[in-house]
Amino acid sequence: MAIPMAMATPTDSLSRVWNMSSLKSSLPSSAVTCRLPSPSSRRPVLVSSPSPRLPSFSGLSPVNPLISTGLPGWQSFEDGFKIIDGGGRVYAMRHGRRVPKLNRPPDQRKALLRGLTTQLLKHGRIKTTRARASAMRKFVDKMITLAKDGSLHKRRQALGFIYEKQIVHALFAEVPDRYGERNGGYTRIIRTLPRRGDNAPMAYIELV
Amino acid sequence: MAASVDPLVVGRVIGDVLDMYIPTANMSVYFGPKHITNGCEIKPSAAVNPPKVNISGNSDELYTLVMTDPDAPSPSEPNMREWVHWIVVDIPGGTNPSKGKEILPYMEPRPPVGIHRYIFVLFRQNSPMGPMVQLPPSRANFSTRMFAGHLDLGLPVATVYFNAQKEPASRRR
Repeated sequence: MAIPMAMATPTDSLSRVWNMSSLKSSLPSSAVTCRLPSPSSRRPVLVSSPSPRLPSFSGLSPVNPLISTGLPGWQSFEDGFKIIDGGGRVYAMRHGRRVPKLNRPPDQRKALLRGLTTQLLKHGRIKTTRARASAMRKFVDKMITLAKDGSLHKRRQALGFIYEKQIVHALFAEVPDRYGERNGGYTRIIRTLPRRGDNAPMAYIELV
Repeated sequence: MAASVDPLVVGRVIGDVLDMYIPTANMSVYFGPKHITNGCEIKPSAAVNPPKVNISGNSDELYTLVMTDPDAPSPSEPNMREWVHWIVVDIPGGTNPSKGKEILPYMEPRPPVGIHRYIFVLFRQNSPMGPMVQLPPSRANFSTRMFAGHLDLGLPVATVYFNAQKEPASRRR
């Protein structure tokens, strides 16, 4: 809807005041026109019809089988929820999902979590995305629990998970003093400002 | 799920360095154009010079400012907790630390490993300090609580903290 800009320029090159009538004529005809209430009267103002309504967004609601025209395969109510048709059932809720997938295939996911726990045990506090921080907690706690036990078998299990062996040896040396009395919950997550590049929600995760 | 929403409690500033207190004064800290809010990220290269600190209050009250790092040398092994960076006493209210006596000169943040918290703590003095304050023997293993106890400063009146980590040495291409 191209607005003819030529009409809206000031008619008088010297005056800086816009000509109201030329502006009004250049605007679309269905725009809102309000009559300002006169100071003396106190009656409510009548507003003329508003701009044309946007079509309502119906992407996430199930298609109504009564309204749809000839969609095949309506066996049950759940068929209406198939947003992604890959054969798997997709629900709107998170019931029973225990593993955070982190948008990665399983081998890459395991490598990411191993790297993140190695870095957290090395630096003590790291800044990462919230999903990764909350997925990491389980593995960091597991490593600290292995260190609390302290036997050779547990040490070898920790060496198989953490990428740098000095960190494992340092961990096994200091965990009994540091976390001897604490039962679980060895990490703390502090939410922080989103990342500038992609507005990802970030968090600091630190060892308690 | 934090039990408290106070950013000082969530960031464990109250607990590691300070005790629970009621803030009675306002302090605003600026590193150049950047205003410090609790937990914001500051580059060490921006913190080379001492910050501009504006303290509220009457000019007949004297304040003490301490800047410490409780995560020295690394947050996972804070052996040298705390590392004190700056101590200024006898600051008149409503001014900035340049009007006070700088007991310990400002040292810029240099976190070797991990993300460190740097905390500015403001105390209200009961009496002018003058020559009573002695220099701490070393910057490491400082205790803000004991420092306040020695000088009878009581609980702090204002606190703010920021995070800093080591910047990568070479510029990425």
